[in-house]
Amino acid sequence: MNPKEIMRSFFLHRKWSYLIAIVSIAVAEFFQVQIPHVLGRFINQLKAGHATEHVVLKFALELVIIAACYVVAFGFGQLRVGRLGRTLEFELRQTLFAHWETLSSRYFQQHSVGDLLNHTLNDVNVVRQAMSQGMNQVTQALFLFIATLYMTIHTINLGLTLVSLIPILLIPLVIVVVGPQVRTRSRRVQEALSDMSERAEESFQAMQLIKATSNESVELGRFRLLVDEIVSRQMHLVQLNTLFQAALPLLSGISFVVGLVYGGDLVIHNQISLGSFVAFTAYLSMLVQPLLQFGFVINMFQNASASMLRIEVLLAVEPDITDPEHPVEKAWEGEIQIRHLTFQYPGSNVKALDDVSITVPKGTTLGIVGRTGAGKTTLLNLILRDYDPPLNTVLFDKTDIREMRLSDLRELIAYVPQDGFLFSTTIGHNIAFSQPVVEPQAVEQAASQSRILETIQSMPEGIDTQIGERGIMLSGGQRQRTAIARALIKSEAKVLILDDSLSAVDTNTETEILRVLRQVRGQKTTIIVAHRLSALRDADWIIVLDKGSVVESGVHQDLLRQNGIYANLFRIQTGGEPAHG
Amino acid sequence: MASADFEEKREIAMSDSASAMRRLIAYARPHLKEFLVVVALVIVYILTQVIQPWLVKIVIDKDLIVKHPVLQPIIAIGFAYLAINIVGLFANFMQNRRLQWIGQRIVRNIRNDLFQHIESLSMRFFDTHETGRLITNVSSDTNVVSMFFTNFLLSVIQDGLSIVMVMGAMLLLDWKLALMSFVVIPVIVLISVLFRNKLRESYRFTRSQFSRLIGYTAENLGGMRITQIFHQEAKQFDQHTELNQRYTKGNISEYQWSVLFNRTFDTLGNLSVALMVWLGGMAVVHRSIEIGVLYAFTSYIRQFFNPINSLTQQWNTLQSSMISAERIGGVLLTKNEIPDPVEPVVLHRRVADGQFDVEGRVRFDHVTFGYSPEKMVLQEIDFTVEPQSFVGFVGETGAGKSTLMGLLTRFYDVNQGSISIDGIDIRRFSQQDLHRLIAIVQQEVNLFSGTVADNLRLFRSEISDRAVQQAAEIAGADEFIRALPGGYQSWLTAKGANLSLGQRQLLAFARALTLNPRILILDEATASLDSHTEMILQQGLTRIAEGRTTLVIAHRLSTIRQADMIYVMDHGRIVERGNHRDLVAQQGYYAELVRKSSPTTVEDAE
Repeated sequence: MNPKEIMRSFFLHRKWSYLIAIVSIAVAEFFQVQIPHVLGRFINQLKAGHATEHVVLKFALELVIIAACYVVAFGFGQLRVGRLGRTLEFELRQTLFAHWETLSSRYFQQHSVGDLLNHTLNDVNVVRQAMSQGMNQVTQALFLFIATLYMTIHTINLGLTLVSLIPILLIPLVIVVVGPQVRTRSRRVQEALSDMSERAEESFQAMQLIKATSNESVELGRFRLLVDEIVSRQMHLVQLNTLFQAALPLLSGISFVVGLVYGGDLVIHNQISLGSFVAFTAYLSMLVQPLLQFGFVINMFQNASASMLRIEVLLAVEPDITDPEHPVEKAWEGEIQIRHLTFQYPGSNVKALDDVSITVPKGTTLGIVGRTGAGKTTLLNLILRDYDPPLNTVLFDKTDIREMRLSDLRELIAYVPQDGFLFSTTIGHNIAFSQPVVEPQAVEQAASQSRILETIQSMPEGIDTQIGERGIMLSGGQRQRTAIARALIKSEAKVLILDDSLSAVDTNTETEILRVLRQVRGQKTTIIVAHRLSALRDADWIIVLDKGSVVESGVHQDLLRQNGIYANLFRIQTGGEPAHG
Repeated sequence: MASADFEEKREIAMSDSASAMRRLIAYARPHLKEFLVVVALVIVYILTQVIQPWLVKIVIDKDLIVKHPVLQPIIAIGFAYLAINIVGLFANFMQNRRLQWIGQRIVRNIRNDLFQHIESLSMRFFDTHETGRLITNVSSDTNVVSMFFTNFLLSVIQDGLSIVMVMGAMLLLDWKLALMSFVVIPVIVLISVLFRNKLRESYRFTRSQFSRLIGYTAENLGGMRITQIFHQEAKQFDQHTELNQRYTKGNISEYQWSVLFNRTFDTLGNLSVALMVWLGGMAVVHRSIEIGVLYAFTSYIRQFFNPINSLTQQWNTLQSSMISAERIGGVLLTKNEIPDPVEPVVLHRRVADGQFDVEGRVRFDHVTFGYSPEKMVLQEIDFTVEPQSFVGFVGETGAGKSTLMGLLTRFYDVNQGSISIDGIDIRRFSQQDLHRLIAIVQQEVNLFSGTVADNLRLFRSEISDRAVQQAAEIAGADEFIRALPGGYQSWLTAKGANLSLGQRQLLAFARALTLNPRILILDEATASLDSHTEMILQQGLTRIAEGRTTLVIAHRLSTIRQADMIYVMDHGRIVERGNHRDLVAQQGYYAELVRKSSPTTVEDAE
């Protein structure tokens, strides 16, 4: 999806809307330039002494009618364009979100959320601004400029127009040259501000440490440096800005003086009337406005094209995990087999997994142990097809998972992540995440299985209680139990995967949850990754991963007898002496 | 009745913010003279602006309308016009710079004071105030307050003066016509005020919809993996569509209101010119004014619009800076609950190594404490730790172990009883000295953006590189630090993403050693590590503890198996004490904890 195509088709679809808007803005400008002309004629009549009360009233009414026509035509056109720009913004946001949903974990690991958000925060807004405000201004400026020039040349004097125009023609030039510099400097101010916020955050979060070491004065010193930096950058911006703000009125002032003197001379020599002279002073200020706008619009479009380019790059990313062309269809049972699986993360030269083979028969429980970085989570990620495993290394009921439809695979697996990620909605919606609607009964059953029901019932609004951003209202253990309930509610799933999901619950709760898991045993194939060996007490088979390889495997007693990593871990955790070291 | 109540509350709120504002205005007082210069410059600028149409009027009436006009005076006036214009722009330029410079210095002082004050507050304050909120106070609230000085005051002076001066010029030209044309002023004010409310309302609505949309997007980007694994892309997309629609609708309606406002204002401007043409034209017809005066009036009447509009906008600035001032004032008014003693105990330093001459005997004497007065977390805690001994504290989460350590470091003060070091109540030390005696290593390792060396010495210039490196060696961190691309000069960030949990924890140990305390507290310092990394750390632990009193809170019982003394805590009380062997033999709570953490099935034993 190319955003330029999106825009092209957007314009094509709405070409008549745009045309009507542009025409009505043009008409509006035609009315606007009549006002000085009417004033000029009025002055002439007054000067000639022809004016009567009736004539005066007629001129006043003429001005009222022109004002009315102008406001209707311009308002109409402006509203149209603005509304279209905002509709385009809507569509760009939809496209971006839909695109992100197709991309895999690898992508989200390479890009920070903040970076991606900048696209929807800034880039989309910049494009919208160019497409609504920019379009409005450029149309208005163009027609106002042409119409004013026509009026001054046609009804007043060509020479006067050209001479007075020279100084103000520099206005767009100044804006185009200085504008981007102003932007750069104000960005540097923003950067300094966010540096300061970050330092404050860093400091406030380390408050206990700072207090415990009485380091407040050192921290204040570090903070002051950044505050001073803001002041100096801000003043740097102010210097340019004030200069800029003085230069533009100066140019139009010079134009006005030229018009005043040269125009006066023309009146003296009877080449133009006094009325034309007065009208011309009004026209001059009408010429300044479009020239200002041309400058700003050029900058706006430059920004927008840079933003558009960034959006284009973003949308050009192809999803790397996709459905096979001919997915295998069958009744799935839940046997998982890993065959000589060797895997490296893209861009890494270390084998995250090295020749791992294991079969988990349908309905059995596999436990996985190993130190941080041993490859446990990698193995789970490959089973979930978070990353693509090599062909024919991960099989589901003897079928390569890459031959399965992605949605089938993920419907079959109930998964509890390590970090217990929750959404900022109600606890009910979180537990029933996989369900089309929230069925209170099903939610309660899953909640009771994962020992979170009591907590939910004690909450003010039960399952409708909002749990805050990423579930901030819950404790670590409660979050994990909610995540477990979210997996258990998928009763149709054939495989249950827990990635170190019991680490934050206390020993009693762990025991109770394990008891529940034992009940679903036989129906579901279960894979449990754990640091605490107590979480694996029901496993039918345990493997120990180290540096990507299976170094030990067997049931608890076998592993103890092997007297290796597992036995050592066991001793550490039960408070015995480590075997070595 | 209800509304009277409301009024009263509002009044109280207003007086609060008024006092908060007064507090902040104190920051402006030293700049009073500079402010006066700014006001003088503003007056010059406005005068030059008001004079311009007058000059054109002179050209028309004195030089063009006369029987035999000559060019000479017109050229003179042209130059005068240019000169006046340049003077005005220069005054405005100077005024702007000076005002910004004042505003920046005010906001800098507020920021520094606020930061310093926040850092001086006790931990209880941080328990009840979100960090995010405090950061907003320091960064954006201060900014909004500075707008009061740079935008609000400026606008009131500049716009107010320019309205007054334009009115004055009109009255001077022709007072009757002037009085008649002033009719437009209340109309402009009325329309500005009416629209301003509506505009603000729709702006706020759109902002809130926008932040909901962005919040939703941010969350979904963070949790995309979960959405995909649970195969809920369609459901999440539908919700996004709904939020996006709501935002777009608000956005369009906000836009419509602003277009309506701007066009109404435009039209009002054009109508007032028409009014001038009518009133002034009549006056010219009746020979009571000249044409040049009419010209000047049509120019002047347009000069009412911008300042009135900008003044009504400033009402918003005033309101939001009041709110921010109140927030900042609220923080600044908070008193530190843990004050230093008036005459702190003077600690002597040993000649040999410059350390405090303190043995390190820690005594808790019947200590009772609660975070809130209704609920006591610790009850009658009483124990003594001998100098240079190694003691452990165990118990379930919430038993009160970490609270003990928070009391020893005076994050909080005890409700009853006392805590002493070498027999001196810790409330008699200056906190600075107390914190030089004690170091604490916690589960969460805070890093600062800076080099590894600076992180270890906490940016204190008096600690040498040599001392830092020695500490790192003892803690067992030297090896991995040297392996980093820049060694001790490697750059770290607060998130410390480039370090593993184990490495961060090693840094925390090294940091505690760099500070060379007499008493060392390890508060669940190894809980988040896997057992292997923990084992490596454990080896360093013995070296670290050497020559100091060491208090260890343990998550895993293995950490404190060798301790000289183990205190077992439950529900805020010490329920058992003794060494590992004795406690196991007691077959009590400790023994049960040991059994529970065993991998073999508990229920098998039942």
